[in-house]
Amino acid sequence: MRVLLQPFVLIGRGVTSVSAGIGAWGLLTARTVGAMRHLDVWVRLLLPQMARVGVDSVPIALFIAMFTGIVLSLQASYTFTGAIPLYFVGVLVGKTIMLELGPVLTGLALSGRVGANIAAELGTMRVTEQIDALETLAYPPLAYLVVPRVIAGIIMFPLITALAIGMGIFAGWATAIQLLDMTSAEFISGLMLFFVPFDVTFALVKATSFGFIVTSLGCFFGFNTRGGAEGVGSSTTRAVVVSSMVILVLDAFWAITLL
Amino acid sequence: MKRSSEALVGVVIVAALLLITFGTLWLQGATLRGQQTEIVGVFTSAGQVKPGNSVKVRGMSIGRVREIRLSPDGQSVEVVLRIQDDVTLPEDPVVILSPESLFGDWQAEIVPRDRFAAYRFTDPDDPDHLPGYALPDISQLTATADRISETIEELTERVGIAFSEETAQNIASLIDNVEAVTERLSELVTQQAQSFTDVTDEAQRATQEIRAAAERVRTTFESVGELVEREELVAILGDLAVVTENARTLSGELGETNLEIRAMAGRADSTLQEIGALVALARDGDGSVARLLRDPELAEEVEATMVSLRLLLDDIRENPRRYLRLSIF
Repeated sequence: MRVLLQPFVLIGRGVTSVSAGIGAWGLLTARTVGAMRHLDVWVRLLLPQMARVGVDSVPIALFIAMFTGIVLSLQASYTFTGAIPLYFVGVLVGKTIMLELGPVLTGLALSGRVGANIAAELGTMRVTEQIDALETLAYPPLAYLVVPRVIAGIIMFPLITALAIGMGIFAGWATAIQLLDMTSAEFISGLMLFFVPFDVTFALVKATSFGFIVTSLGCFFGFNTRGGAEGVGSSTTRAVVVSSMVILVLDAFWAITLL
Repeated sequence: MKRSSEALVGVVIVAALLLITFGTLWLQGATLRGQQTEIVGVFTSAGQVKPGNSVKVRGMSIGRVREIRLSPDGQSVEVVLRIQDDVTLPEDPVVILSPESLFGDWQAEIVPRDRFAAYRFTDPDDPDHLPGYALPDISQLTATADRISETIEELTERVGIAFSEETAQNIASLIDNVEAVTERLSELVTQQAQSFTDVTDEAQRATQEIRAAAERVRTTFESVGELVEREELVAILGDLAVVTENARTLSGELGETNLEIRAMAGRADSTLQEIGALVALARDGDGSVARLLRDPELAEEVEATMVSLRLLLDDIRENPRRYLRLSIF
């Protein structure tokens, strides 16, 4: 009987665990929003966090976008050989990078860099009881540790994504005119052919949500780290994995709801 | 925090904001120099056009589709076009929504109504709105083609049922008959054409002759006119009367001469009868002449005598003294 019930037990336990995690994350988010009233605590910490979350992430974001643009351009020209005119390379590069690859790849890359960084940092502070010390000193740990990181992520992720989109399109254009038998006019004509301003809005909305998810989940897993160094590693891993999964789920969610 | 880090954050933020702003404007085809204006086209259907599609005049892009909305009464679609305000629109402008290429991109083209008079444009209530017409998209055309192909297939099946071997033989026979009739018709047409050509030639010649005659008549009338003008015609008519009188006199004289000739012919006839009688007498009678005619020897003797006589006369002419002696005393 116990054997028969075991799969259901596992499903129930998993659902309960996930639900508990979502609830805990929601609770942390709600408390974070509440902690925003401590402006004197987090405002002065915002700029350094923006530098860490955003400026330091620019190189990796641009690097990923550049090669994405190059590969997209080449693959598009390879695919469109024949009946489809080559200016559709511009269409494909622009639309794909703007709507999908720019925000998603940047989000995934920053989830690995920023989310892991935040989870490891806060996890270490948790296991070394620094967070407990802050609470003991009646210093608001959420306002001090979480709010500036989350707001920095919400602000900087769209900006980094915008830079990444620009780099991806530029790389695609350079590839098209250097390696393919295309002119700038053809590429730009394709780029502008189906462009609507909502594409930019869509990309920025997605990037903003990714920024919130990556930073808040990093904070959540860091804050809830248990054990020693192993717990920190586990939290870091889980922060990256869960952030990446949620980014992909959110990507589908926005596509369903906004497009 | 170091000042340089703060500056870096500022640079990243400004760069990203500038990229978003100007990149969006550039990709929209918006210009910061020229002013833009908005016009509204009214359609029964929006087709596949979307915000951001090109707006063109004479093939030149002058703006973009900004918004698509249902009209307040829900009976039509209003498409808001943002265009450069320095563009002169054609006379009596209308808007046509049409595919820009085969790959799904559409455009709104502003054209004069008379160029596309066959299209049924809308009749907007607002005089500031432009009438519009949306061409059917490729899916509608494909559906129509599909219906046509189904109809053709059904028709083909019916033809297949109706087309038996007997029908084929009848059709073959009919074709043969048609060929024969066609040949005869061709021959008939050829003959008629030849006849027509001959008639035409005749008519042409007759026309030319009539023309020549008319020309002569005209010349004659001109001459008559000139004569009348110069008053010579009266003199000519007088001369003609005199000539006629002379001819009448001559005719009378000829009549008398004819009578004389007739009398002379009678006399000649009687003379010839007399000559005939003389000849008969000479041939059949007993006179010298008759004998001379009947007797060749006598004729030869007479001829020889005549020769001798001619010789004698010649000799007398040359030597008259031998035969004539004149003496007075």
